[in-house]
Amino acid sequence: MAKEIFMPKLSSTMAVGTLLQWLKEEGETVEIGEPLFEIMTDKINIEVEAYDEGVLLKKYFDVDAEVPVNQIIGYIGEEGEKVPDRSPGIAGEEPPAEEQIEEVISERQETPVLVSNIQEGEKPRATPAARQMARSNKLELVFIKGSGPNGRVHKKDVLSHLEATASASKATPLARKIALAEQVDLSSVTGSGANGKIVKADVVTANSSKQAPSAATSIPAAQRRKMTGMRKVIADRMAQSAYTAPHVTLTTEVEMSKVKELRLALLPVIEKQTGFRLSFTDILVKAVGAALARHPQVNVSIDGDEIIQHSQVHIGLAVAVQDGLMVPVIKDVLNKGLAELTSDAKEIGKRARENKLLPDQMNGSTFTISNLGMYAVDAFTPIINQPESAILGVGRIQDKPVAINGALEIRPMMTLSLSFDHRAMDGAPAAAFLTELKQILESPYELLV
Amino acid sequence: MVKSYDIVVVGGGPGGYVAALHAAELGKKTALIEADFLGGTCLNRGCIPSKTYLKHSEVIEQIEKAKDWGIDTGDLSFSFSKMKKRKDDVIQRLRGGIAFLLKQGEIDVYNGYGSVLPGGVVKVKTSDGEETVKAAKVIVATGSTPAVPPIEGLDSVQFDTSDTIFDIPEIPKSVIIIGGGVIGVEFATIFASLKAQVSIVEAADQIIPTEDAEASEFLTKMLKKKGINIHTGAKVQRVQETEGVKTVICEDAKGKELSLQADTLLVSTGRRPNLSAVIELNLEQNGPFIKVNEKMETTQDHVYAVGDVIGGWQLAHAASAEGIVAANNAAGEMDVIDYKVMPRCIYTLPEIASVGLSEEEAKKQGIDVRVEKFDFAGSGKALSAGEPEGFTKIIYEAKYGEIIGVVMAGSHVTEMISEASAFMYLEGTIDEAAKMIHPHPSLSETFYEAAVNAVNKLKTQKAIQSVV
Repeated sequence: MAKEIFMPKLSSTMAVGTLLQWLKEEGETVEIGEPLFEIMTDKINIEVEAYDEGVLLKKYFDVDAEVPVNQIIGYIGEEGEKVPDRSPGIAGEEPPAEEQIEEVISERQETPVLVSNIQEGEKPRATPAARQMARSNKLELVFIKGSGPNGRVHKKDVLSHLEATASASKATPLARKIALAEQVDLSSVTGSGANGKIVKADVVTANSSKQAPSAATSIPAAQRRKMTGMRKVIADRMAQSAYTAPHVTLTTEVEMSKVKELRLALLPVIEKQTGFRLSFTDILVKAVGAALARHPQVNVSIDGDEIIQHSQVHIGLAVAVQDGLMVPVIKDVLNKGLAELTSDAKEIGKRARENKLLPDQMNGSTFTISNLGMYAVDAFTPIINQPESAILGVGRIQDKPVAINGALEIRPMMTLSLSFDHRAMDGAPAAAFLTELKQILESPYELLV
Repeated sequence: MVKSYDIVVVGGGPGGYVAALHAAELGKKTALIEADFLGGTCLNRGCIPSKTYLKHSEVIEQIEKAKDWGIDTGDLSFSFSKMKKRKDDVIQRLRGGIAFLLKQGEIDVYNGYGSVLPGGVVKVKTSDGEETVKAAKVIVATGSTPAVPPIEGLDSVQFDTSDTIFDIPEIPKSVIIIGGGVIGVEFATIFASLKAQVSIVEAADQIIPTEDAEASEFLTKMLKKKGINIHTGAKVQRVQETEGVKTVICEDAKGKELSLQADTLLVSTGRRPNLSAVIELNLEQNGPFIKVNEKMETTQDHVYAVGDVIGGWQLAHAASAEGIVAANNAAGEMDVIDYKVMPRCIYTLPEIASVGLSEEEAKKQGIDVRVEKFDFAGSGKALSAGEPEGFTKIIYEAKYGEIIGVVMAGSHVTEMISEASAFMYLEGTIDEAAKMIHPHPSLSETFYEAAVNAVNKLKTQKAIQSVV
């Protein structure tokens, strides 16, 4: 009998998956464990492997289709076996009548999963043994396909995941160490050892060719690569935001001498307490939180034709990571002091760069700060991180001549750029928020009150 | 009619017969020409007979040691003829084995002197006359012969080399060995155990001069314990013989004249290549040896050379490895020799074994080299066996913990060295060596212990660096 292929549930928060590509065509033979298709969830993209062997009999969905979890998306079976013409629906359920299927699908498409739907702190289902094994091998459970009920990850799933990654590139221990230290991608190295095993010499050769680009006479051809994973998520989300939200960007210059003073005063205190160094961003988070509390009309989201007024302030921090951008979230900013904000910001920043963010740390922000102050950037027009309605762009702090009481003085100045969604708010409240923020930063001691 | 072959191998030692077998396995019509016995120096006048005698020595030493343990067998007596008989039986058996393998591989074996002529013609001078065969490819594996240095008086003295010493009529009372290399120290061990008074004269400032200095020092101590006289840095001036007594006059390290006397004189000062088979080819040479590239190709098309005749390691297993490479290339399958993991074994009692680079060689290559040594005195197995002398030394690189050389000294190390070789060949590092479970008690634990200590040292060092 033909076996169902369904959209896997990779985490407890996953409701739909986007089909990125089929790796097999109808009529092709499939082995157990062979990658069958690639999907993208709200967190990751992953190749899904076949559970059964046989011939890929049917594909019900095309690339870019958003499919609810456990929806049957195809069949594997013996050549010539009969399978339904349309997807019978959710795997394991009685096949519903055809009209119902359409309903199910359209209903699900109409209610996209909101970030706020995700229950905080919930983790992928896994047995304790699997959890421990994943932890000791530094694996994220969300990457592992569970074979148990409701996609629960068992120890054997972790094991087979480990085996799969190990056999992906055979290399000697020494070759592995050198590749790690020299950042050589083993999957791109051809092995000269027994059965294609990668040995030291292969890595050394690959590394030296990497360092010495081909002769100057040959101009390397432009390269095309498919946008996958994080790049694709960023691309889609940026386009979505830019094309749906009418952006308006306001800028203002802020005099930062008081913030500098405050920072210098608190630096040793907070370092002693948390072990972390207080940054300008941390103070900005605190100040933005205070300003948002006073101007709640900026702390909103649009959902369909409704505006959601958030009761709490969760601030996302844009963090540049390898090949992309992530926005980890500091939760409940209003109830946190500078010390706690500092350690929170450092913690999520580090986790983001190490690609170790917990699902809870990636979701639920109501406002985002993007700081490019470490570059020679004065002002810019940030794109809103939806479903938020506003984002603050932070430029560098630079000593500039300013007129103070009719006299020229040199002061440390910083430009803030606030982009807001004109559907959700108008210029005046946004300007009022930005003005409030400027005032807080110019007399930051009011934060203490 | 002239028979023609895809590949003709000249020389039936461990380089030649292995090359012939491999060529046959690759489906090539192959012939092997051997003037003497199959197995070459290794089987007939080298590795195998010496290991047979060294087993006798080991048993003698064990029996003597057992006295102190409360096992008394009474006075020892030796029958040298029985020992020789056993040695001959072992050789016969192994020769038969090679002949069987060659027959199974359908390789034609010619008994006679082969001479390689230009144009793929090989002449074989047999006892019945001369035969000519045609060869598309020729592999020269003619080996080497003991080299006799030009010492004054040597031509008028009856002396032995490793070619003749195995068949001397009786156990000598005293032996002088000129040359303290691998061959010299093994014979010193054999004769010392047979109660002969043994002296070694070595020109270099240590015995086994090509090996690790610490291993050499260790072996010197152990040989001296057996009552062997060792004179290093000593240059032989002249030899003479009166009424069967051989006198060796040399100048010792301090420039003082030294006169040694014995009834037997063994000259083991290296080996020279046998080139007469290729004299017609005008092959380019590398010193006294035939010059080859890493594919074992000589400067003449279709002519390959392997083993002692090309110099290098001059070890049986090196010759066999070269033979395989030559056979592959001659059969059209590209192959190159890799000498990185070449074990070297000395079967003295106790033994010395090493693989890879020495500490000095590694330093010369600019490697950030570390050394970790573990003494057998810390091994339960060594102590319970009553053989607490020896050590395992790992020479490794600091950044990745790559094992670049290992030196072992002590009992059974010639068997143990292969663990080190495997680690190096498969590119395991000290981290894996320090994790792999070793049986307890065993001598191989010393390799593990040295690796564990090395890993711990690197860790401490990294911790210190990160603090600073």
